Amino acid sequence: MSEVLAAISTSVIEGNLNDCVKLTQEALAAGMAADTILDNGLMPGMDYVGVEFKAGNMFVPEVLRSARAMQGAMDLVRPLLSATGASMTGKIILGTVKGDLHDIGKNLVAMMCEGAGFEVKDLGKNIEPDAFVKAVKEFEPNIVGMSALLTTTMRSMEHTIKALEEAGLRDKVKVMIGGAPVTQSFADQIGADGYASNAASASEMAKKFAKA
Amino acid sequence: MRTNYRINSGVRFEMFTQDQLEELFWGALHVLEYTGLDVMHEEARQILKKAGAWVEGTRVRLPNYLVRKSLEMAPRSFTLFARDGNPENDIHIGPGRAHFGPGPTCVQFIDIETQARRPYLNSDVPLVAKVVDALPNIDFCESLGTVSDVHHDLGALYEFAGMFPNTSKPIVAWSYDKYDSAGIHEIAVAEAGGQEAFEQRPTYVHYCEPLSPLITTSESVDKLLFAATHRIPLIFTPCPLAGGTAPVTAAGIIIPAAAESWMGLTIAQAVQPGLPFIMGGVLSVMDMSAMILAYGAPELSLMMAGITELAHYVGLPLWQTGGCTDSKTFDAQAMIEGSLSCYFSAMTGGDLTHDVGYTESAMTGSVFQLAAMDEAIGYTRRITRGIEVNEDTLAVDVIHNVGPNGHYLKEKHTRRYFRSEFWYPNLHDRRNFEEWEMMGRTTLKDRTIARVHDILVTHNPSSIKPETEQVIRKVLAEAEARVRA
Amino acid sequence: MSAILEQLSAVVIEGDETKSPGLVQKALDEGFTAKEILDNALVVGMTEVGIRFKRGDMFVPEVLMSAEAMQTGLGILRPLLAASGAEMLGKIVMGTVKGDLHDIGKNLVGMLCEGSGFDVIDLGFNVAPEKFIEAVKQHKPNIIGMSALLTTTMRSMGHTIKALEEAGLRAGVKIMVGGAPVDREFADRVGADGYGSNAPAGADLAKQLMGAA
Repeated sequence: MSEVLAAISTSVIEGNLNDCVKLTQEALAAGMAADTILDNGLMPGMDYVGVEFKAGNMFVPEVLRSARAMQGAMDLVRPLLSATGASMTGKIILGTVKGDLHDIGKNLVAMMCEGAGFEVKDLGKNIEPDAFVKAVKEFEPNIVGMSALLTTTMRSMEHTIKALEEAGLRDKVKVMIGGAPVTQSFADQIGADGYASNAASASEMAKKFAKA
Repeated sequence: MRTNYRINSGVRFEMFTQDQLEELFWGALHVLEYTGLDVMHEEARQILKKAGAWVEGTRVRLPNYLVRKSLEMAPRSFTLFARDGNPENDIHIGPGRAHFGPGPTCVQFIDIETQARRPYLNSDVPLVAKVVDALPNIDFCESLGTVSDVHHDLGALYEFAGMFPNTSKPIVAWSYDKYDSAGIHEIAVAEAGGQEAFEQRPTYVHYCEPLSPLITTSESVDKLLFAATHRIPLIFTPCPLAGGTAPVTAAGIIIPAAAESWMGLTIAQAVQPGLPFIMGGVLSVMDMSAMILAYGAPELSLMMAGITELAHYVGLPLWQTGGCTDSKTFDAQAMIEGSLSCYFSAMTGGDLTHDVGYTESAMTGSVFQLAAMDEAIGYTRRITRGIEVNEDTLAVDVIHNVGPNGHYLKEKHTRRYFRSEFWYPNLHDRRNFEEWEMMGRTTLKDRTIARVHDILVTHNPSSIKPETEQVIRKVLAEAEARVRA
Repeated sequence: MSAILEQLSAVVIEGDETKSPGLVQKALDEGFTAKEILDNALVVGMTEVGIRFKRGDMFVPEVLMSAEAMQTGLGILRPLLAASGAEMLGKIVMGTVKGDLHDIGKNLVGMLCEGSGFDVIDLGFNVAPEKFIEAVKQHKPNIIGMSALLTTTMRSMGHTIKALEEAGLRAGVKIMVGGAPVDREFADRVGADGYGSNAPAGADLAKQLMGAA
């Protein structure tokens, strides 16, 4: 791996937005392929961040900084990826369900998924089942991710899955859910494909779903 | 007789100086006046505008005099009554009085028979209420769970319908929407014997929750307006997470929490001057690894102590938090976190301390945690009761009479005081080793489980009127019809 | 049981020492013998007190009040019992051992044993082994009870038992020991016949050692 790619990884891990953007610009100017920068510079950095977060050595504010550095570089790299035809890992739509206005966790998942190479469409918070359905039709994602913080709003996930079924879209997407009150047994009960207990494992699960 | 003698009525904890309290107070007023909150409810914005607020779109800013006027109108002291008139179960909210009870809406529950973790069921509600009714140091009732096996819009209503007949202790009721609120109120009014009788002796408190940071949601105002219109004492409590939905600093989280609660206060007092109002909220850290609101963090107790002092400074009672844990089971962590937060809450004079019995960071309700905390609260209350100092308790004469190498067991003084001066445990073991061994080497956990089972077999709460039972059936049937339609 | 004896045992349970002598006298006037009053009223009351104490419904100061009520009544009966030659449940000599000045526990055991129908000779506290020997020779008890509160004085129980052996008196008596630091293992090690973990257990043990319970 070249020195500049290692430096890009380091800038992601350190969460240094300015360095990360500058190094990416320099690498592109030197003629390095966008997919090389993504696969060998940015993504290894975010993978490392995910591992360290899981191990309890990095904390949420630091992960957010890393994700922001990564996104800054992605803004430069993304147009070139589509231009050369290199595909993203997959497409995800994300949203906090109806009645719930908490989006910190969902935002974190979005950033981690982007860091893993996904194209992420974030619908925001307080998202009605119909809005999910509409977005699936429009955006044709591989995965739908839903989040809820409250024990009183999580039931809306079930309503959304039903709405997807009724629209005939359920088979076209994998549904993953998460948030403080959500559990594996709840996911099974409402017919979701997966449950992730934190942001890092959510992006890992998304990668698995995209490969399948 | 001694004159001009100040009796210290109990042990208390104070953290802030007068200057610091003023800074917190004016910090919250500043946020309300200059930043404002988004109030997502048209009628509420109209009410506030009429009262003197500045309204721009959904953003509402309150001139500080309006908040101070509202604070002035709300009482510091009032009574929540037992539904059966038993004065022992009344709660007198006021300075120096800490009360305790469970929390609501856990998803999971520790099964009373098997001790396994499983979803909370409708059949759990009466059992929790019965245990609450029997435990001497638990003062008010919540259900410890969200009922999972009824229609998903009716959980809160079924909960109240299950609690009300099974405890005469005051209830703190939450609801999904104003329809729930109306159903709950109909039940309480039926038992009280009419709206006016209820207003004079309210038997439950209505709980609503705004959203951090700085949003007064439409549902929370719907419920607030219902409570204010019907003179139901109101808890308006945000749940900010330090570092997530509020500043990371302990001083910095108190300010928006106060502002969020006082927006509710201002609406409530504009609608119903003098409405009993209990300030929130629940303050803790967002764990930066686990991404949970930590219910066993020392910062929870510390931040709660801070906001309690601010509430008392402005003359409001506070919705305190304690007796809860991040532990997943009945272990030493659960006991350390639960007991210390109960102790701290009592030391602040937290007016209504809820979430006693929460485990797994509020995801799982446990009557066993609740029953063990009943013991911790008893212990704590003996300490906060303090030392009474007067001629009789100083016992100088008694000391003289007994003299060297006598004993005090036979003294009338001892007989007069030994029951009131000492706290007698229900669950803690003080026997010698051999007796403990003979009684089966039981642990606190064994004895707690046995006590809960014993209560459920032997304890009979006072019953409600037959008419109220009919009203409960009617309210539930109407609600079922509404959600099916 | 007659009303007067029932009343007397209730007064013992309540611990009202002002009422018990009057009721004892009244029972005698009604024609009950001293032995009947002891067994069917005083002992019955104290037995109930022991049960309530064990259950945690009564506490030490209340047990002491009951014991006092029992003793003021017994004060009237004692000469009559001696004169009639009525057979007591047994005779106990008890004391707090040498070096130890704590006698609350021992007093309580003493009163409860009296409440069970024993003749109790209390030697007091700081009782040296030779004092115990002297008392055994003089009173010829069935049981010796020794008490200690301190871990530093409990070894004196061993000394006393050895002294009894050397004086050839050990075989004639049962020995029971108790007190905060004492446990069954210690009792076995010093060669005592029994150990009571609290005052009612001490009284129960005395009955067992007599083969009466």
